[in-house]
Amino acid sequence: MRATIKRKMAAVAALSAAMLAMSGCGGSSDAAKAGSATSGEVNLIAYSGVWQDQYNAAVIEPFKAKYPDIKINYASKRSSAEMLSALQGQKNSPTTDVAIMDNSVSTTGNKQGLFEKVTPDAIPNLANVPEKFRDKDGYGPVAMLDAVGLVYDTATFPKAPDSWNVLWDPAYAGKINVNAPPSLLGLSLTAITSKMQGEDYTKGIDGAVARLKELAPSVQTFAPNPDEYQNVITGQTVLGLGQNARGQFYSDQSNKKMGVTFPKEGTVYQINTVNLVKDAPHSAAATTFINYALSAEAQTAFAKALFYAPSVTNAHLPADVKARVVPTDGSLNIVPLDVDFLSSARDKWTDTWKRQIITK
Amino acid sequence: MTLLEAPAAPERPRAKNEGQLERATERRNRRTYLALLLPGLLGLLVSFVFPLAYMVRMSFNQGSPDGVIVETFTLDTYIQPLTDPYYWKVTLDTFQMGVTVGVLCVLVSYPVALFLARSTSKYRGLLIAIAIAPLLTSAVVRTYGWMVILGTNGLVNSSLTGLGLIDTPLKLTNNMAGVTIGLVEIFMPYAILAMISGFGRLSPQLEEAAGSLGASKFKVFTRVTLPLCLPGLLTAFLLVFVLSISTFITPRLLGGGSVQVLATEIYDQTTGLLNWPFAAALSVILLVLFGLIIAVYQRLTRKIGG
Repeated sequence: MRATIKRKMAAVAALSAAMLAMSGCGGSSDAAKAGSATSGEVNLIAYSGVWQDQYNAAVIEPFKAKYPDIKINYASKRSSAEMLSALQGQKNSPTTDVAIMDNSVSTTGNKQGLFEKVTPDAIPNLANVPEKFRDKDGYGPVAMLDAVGLVYDTATFPKAPDSWNVLWDPAYAGKINVNAPPSLLGLSLTAITSKMQGEDYTKGIDGAVARLKELAPSVQTFAPNPDEYQNVITGQTVLGLGQNARGQFYSDQSNKKMGVTFPKEGTVYQINTVNLVKDAPHSAAATTFINYALSAEAQTAFAKALFYAPSVTNAHLPADVKARVVPTDGSLNIVPLDVDFLSSARDKWTDTWKRQIITK
Repeated sequence: MTLLEAPAAPERPRAKNEGQLERATERRNRRTYLALLLPGLLGLLVSFVFPLAYMVRMSFNQGSPDGVIVETFTLDTYIQPLTDPYYWKVTLDTFQMGVTVGVLCVLVSYPVALFLARSTSKYRGLLIAIAIAPLLTSAVVRTYGWMVILGTNGLVNSSLTGLGLIDTPLKLTNNMAGVTIGLVEIFMPYAILAMISGFGRLSPQLEEAAGSLGASKFKVFTRVTLPLCLPGLLTAFLLVFVLSISTFITPRLLGGGSVQVLATEIYDQTTGLLNWPFAAALSVILLVLFGLIIAVYQRLTRKIGG
């Protein structure tokens, strides 16, 4: 009897071990690797939160209606860097097919061999992407554009502030949120402040650091939570950095309690690229998806939903939407933040903020 | 014939057989134990040992500003934080935070744990469940709760302003004070549980005996109760300390980017700057810190026990 019980226990133990091993080894089947352009699935990695909601509604749902046999599995991440971390982790055996991320990070991905080059033969809509929005080496093109804006409380500022200098106004001390680097918002503020101080930030940022040190005591938080927009909407702060697109969206959501503007000293573009993962398990369906993401239909729908500027020439926006997306025709004062420079400056500038600017 | 009357002669082979039987049973038992342990060991291997080994190996690689990881064997990732005063300060701040949270948590949890441990009420079980009920809510939610309570327009500041006690709101978030308050509350249930289970030697009879021999209530507490509670208090402190120095969510959310501890630094290096080797080296340093604290703890408990 005892022996029987022991045998049963041993069997249960062995079964548990086998199940555990199986659960650890689970993954996509090799059979799906060949893939089809009109069926199967696409594993997409992109931003979370409101971006995901709007992209789902404006792009993914219409895509699914057009290609009912392609399933989109959306894995959301808070930032492009987190997406790159995930892709680095699966480099030897990718499970992701498409990544939509910031161009400063996708450039790193290109260098690391994480992405595949794309051509107009495979993606016909690439022909509508102007040269300036294509990667010079043929990697994933720009999918949408936005820029850093100044987010403000409309009750405190009935008229939008026209200068970044308002951040230094003692009247708003303690009511400001600034996203410190490595956030792109903080990196952008560093470049903008450097330009305002009349220096070339590629050579040094001493002037910017001195000026940002003056700002630091007025900053309530360097990592706004839940985010930079809600902090202003809930009255925790009255000024902050933010992306124009999300700012416009939350402005509507909050019944214009919050506004977003581009100050006269200039701003920095935030550009997202759409990238095909190297050795993607469903590359054929992924190519179909990328082609749709670059269609005038998808680009216009997303611009209407979340105020990102299209990257294709054949997307025509209604005037009210066009007035709220970032201009890409050269009419906006842009502080150029070169992605190659940024990838080398990111850790230095982050270090500088932590050691010299952020005060307790 | 009864067993007692059995002749002596056949005993030798039977004893030999019994010995063999015992050894066989022992072998079988050992195999069963091993089979039962196997899933756990495998789980530990897959979820802890392999990732830890990977992390240690990663810490000897070379990171680069653009996120490229160069497979090599270098000590640079260790030399940099160990020779940089900034990282010493971050490590010291982390340690300080762990000690402060540990001490405060033990101080506020001790009366609750003592009450629960001595309670003879039929509702004792329910009371213990209530004390540890906060564990049913995630630390993220509770941290957000504290952000609402301690914020500029939060409950504390609006109450104090409403009562006319302060003119300008107190800065209770986005600094170490906010992080400490949040962590103490979040880790209280762990401390209470650790203390209750560590108060094994606490006995009302000993306290009564001391009292009957003329000791004042204060003396009974300092000479009898407290020394008997020490193992529980130490375990609770160690648990809270270890949880505090490795926690990321609360320092990140309530610290508002102004509180730099090892966990937030590791997060920034991993997900913001993509310098995995450096993040791995910082993780190993944190692990060594854990090891040192556990060694000290074991010494202390041995001393108390001895």
